[in-house]
Amino acid sequence: MSKEATTKRVAISKKELIKQRPLLIWSAIFFVYGFIFYYLPLGGWIMAFQNYKNKTGFFHSKWVGLEKFKFLFSDVTFLRVIRNTFCMGALNLVFSTVLAITFAILLNEVKVTKIKKPIQTVSYLPHFLSWIIVTGILNDMLSSTGIVNELLVKFGIMDSTVPFFSIPWLFWPIVTFAHLWKETGWNAIIYLSAITSIDPTLYEAGSIDGAGRWQKIKHITLPGLRPTIIVLLIMNMGNLLNVGFEVQYLLGNDVVKSVSDTIDIYVLKWGISQSDYSLGTAAGIFKSVVSIAIILIANSIAKRHGEERLF
Amino acid sequence: MKRKTVTRLLSLGLSVALTLACLSGCGNAAQTAAPAGDDAAPAAAADAGDTADADAGETEVAAGDIVDFTFFGGMPGVEINSGNNEIQDIIAQKTGVRLKETWLTGQTVAEAIGSIIASGTYPDLIDGGDGCVDLYNEGVLVAWDEYLESGKYPNLTNYYTPAEWDQFRQDDGKIYWCNVFQNTKGEPTGTAHNDEAFWVQARVLEWDNYPEIKTLDQYFDLLERYAAANPKTQDANGNEMDVIPYTCLCDDWRYFCIENAPQFLDGYPNDGSVIVDFDGKAPTIVDYNTTPTAKEYFKKLNEEYQKGIVDKDFGTQKYDDYITKLSNGNVLGMCDQYWDFQQINDALRTSGLEEQGCNFVPLGLTIREGMENRWHTYGDTLNVASGIAVTTSCSDPDLAFSFLNAMLDQDIHNLRFWGVEGVDYLVDDDGLFYRTDEIRKNISDPKYRADHLCFYSYLPQYGGTSDDGINANLPEEQPSEFFNGLAAPMQKCFTAYGAKTYPDLIGSVKEDVNETHPWFPMWSYSNNLDTSTPGGVAWTKMGETKHEWLPKVVMSSNFDSEWENYMKAYAECKPEDFLNQMQEELDRRIAAKEAQ
Repeated sequence: MSKEATTKRVAISKKELIKQRPLLIWSAIFFVYGFIFYYLPLGGWIMAFQNYKNKTGFFHSKWVGLEKFKFLFSDVTFLRVIRNTFCMGALNLVFSTVLAITFAILLNEVKVTKIKKPIQTVSYLPHFLSWIIVTGILNDMLSSTGIVNELLVKFGIMDSTVPFFSIPWLFWPIVTFAHLWKETGWNAIIYLSAITSIDPTLYEAGSIDGAGRWQKIKHITLPGLRPTIIVLLIMNMGNLLNVGFEVQYLLGNDVVKSVSDTIDIYVLKWGISQSDYSLGTAAGIFKSVVSIAIILIANSIAKRHGEERLF
Repeated sequence: MKRKTVTRLLSLGLSVALTLACLSGCGNAAQTAAPAGDDAAPAAAADAGDTADADAGETEVAAGDIVDFTFFGGMPGVEINSGNNEIQDIIAQKTGVRLKETWLTGQTVAEAIGSIIASGTYPDLIDGGDGCVDLYNEGVLVAWDEYLESGKYPNLTNYYTPAEWDQFRQDDGKIYWCNVFQNTKGEPTGTAHNDEAFWVQARVLEWDNYPEIKTLDQYFDLLERYAAANPKTQDANGNEMDVIPYTCLCDDWRYFCIENAPQFLDGYPNDGSVIVDFDGKAPTIVDYNTTPTAKEYFKKLNEEYQKGIVDKDFGTQKYDDYITKLSNGNVLGMCDQYWDFQQINDALRTSGLEEQGCNFVPLGLTIREGMENRWHTYGDTLNVASGIAVTTSCSDPDLAFSFLNAMLDQDIHNLRFWGVEGVDYLVDDDGLFYRTDEIRKNISDPKYRADHLCFYSYLPQYGGTSDDGINANLPEEQPSEFFNGLAAPMQKCFTAYGAKTYPDLIGSVKEDVNETHPWFPMWSYSNNLDTSTPGGVAWTKMGETKHEWLPKVVMSSNFDSEWENYMKAYAECKPEDFLNQMQEELDRRIAAKEAQ
């Protein structure tokens, strides 16, 4: 059933090693690369347990144990940034997944290539804009002299202009919207390609059985997409806490900072601005540990339900 | 096969080139500059330099021996075309140093200095602003003591009195930086108001026949009436825009624009972070954030916000947005320090908006009528919290100090601020410098400034009068030049109020602040607090709380309840820790003055 059954196990022999030499060399390169760039920097985690100062370095800084973590979890601001990161991450994950799938299916149903292609191209172009440009556009559109306010006032929906960026409860929706606008088209590509790999005979059979468009989507396309959706979902769960630095940093301001600051911004503020590298590292460790935990949990849930999974 | 070899060779060549490029990027910043193929420009500049050179005895440095130093300023600034700037080249030939300046962009100063420290690569010279202490703690600044005592740099040694230099000493007893502003040589000319005020466009005053505006209420009343009568205005291109009667900057450290007015409205000078009350008692620290005046002031802003007089975007605008708005001419008034928005005068001149009265006039407001005001500070303010510093990365500190020393030579000072004689200013028969309208127009042109002028604006400099005893060190402080340099509507306004200088318009109490307030200014202490003391922690938290709540309070639809919430959040920061620490510093300063 699984792949292991079909692959023959090869005993490690000198001859085999020589035969696979190019493969081994290449893997070694990647191993070294991974070690240097992913595992070696983890040594820096030691800072979280010291009162690290540049002057004293790793070897002479004072050892403080878990004090930095204690400070973190007694700091109201840190609890707030965790909430912000989780909520914005979740909003983003849910909406971007749903919208990308919907968009992919809708696009798949467009049968005229001359219309379909341009729509697809236009939809993923924003992915290539950097956040500084996207936030610039948003800033212009949503400022009190921006087009949104102008239209709202002109059509009599509002009496006077609204300073959108000074209203705390609007911040998460604005960030989610920004993500959707930028990434929906791009995210849809992978689903589109998954749809094309669904066996066309299934659709033919469906037509013969008298299934309409809607029924074909419901009973063929969506089930066919299911493994892709689940693998992507698990992977994106791991990125849940990575939702926020640039957008929040660029769109946020002092008025809404209680809802806009994320873990990454917190790390920047303490680690760089206040030169408290230890606290910044502690917050970073927390983020990594939680991310790993989320992936493991999501993966085991998928496993338990007999779904496709990551590992 | 052959093609393969070619490809291999090509890729090998490319990678070698790449590696070399990377390596060369890591080279020391202080390389000697190669004359980069623009031989003509320095030659022309050298000619111009000769005419401006007062003492002809000086030796000039050959182009090949000029050293490039780098400078980072922890504040936004305008970059000049370094390497292609005429006056920069003249100065380089005289001093042997060309300084490439870069400025803060898109970050807070704490982030910028933090990143520099984390990266470990420092410019040769640096003004870290609020981050100066961090640099000192990092041990990357060169101590000045040895250089000041060597006698080789007399201009620097005499730049401050020994007692003043002592105030710059850090906790290890050494001097690491030197503030370059508010240092007067010779007689002060007294034309400028480089301090805070409520400002209003000249045309608003003209429209109301130059009324006497003394209080906050009168000020907003005037703005309201003017805006009701003139809801639209035109920018430089003739586009119609809505008038913004009042705006207010809250961006990063510049949020003093919104937060510190209460101290002035109560008639106190700019101690910045606190009021020092010494009326009939021992000097005592008072928190201006919680005074009745503070509440009244924010309530006023709140009312005006609800009426649509205060800019809707004030809470979220960045400094750049703010400067753009002021340069467009549709903001009628704001509260700010003159140096914080001074740059718009050039834009207003270039666009012609100054002829319509879009320049700002300062008003010395108080909360009630008949009170003294101290918006204008008579006497120099010594800010020991920040300044120009030399880093340990600088390859040749001796040269750096001789460069800083040369900045104070009168001929170089004139080059920096007045420009090249015969080009940027003319001299009349009495030796008085003056400018024609055409020169003034040139000087406010951004391209001309980038290619020709070189202020080195964060290096040592003087106000007051030049060594010749006739001219001001800074053109804007030259009395004759000052008035002639004003746009017609401003001249009309000055005349209408019988004022000759900016301070005349404000009418502050005339006193040498260093005599009457020997501890002045307290902000030079609070600016340098960090989170290692309880007072510093409180100060940081208070700042964050005010950053968040002040705009909220102003925008709230229910002022009183929001003010209560703000006061609750404020009390949680333990401001008393901060105030006690300030009181200690105040007592220390008074004792130090008495000991002298």
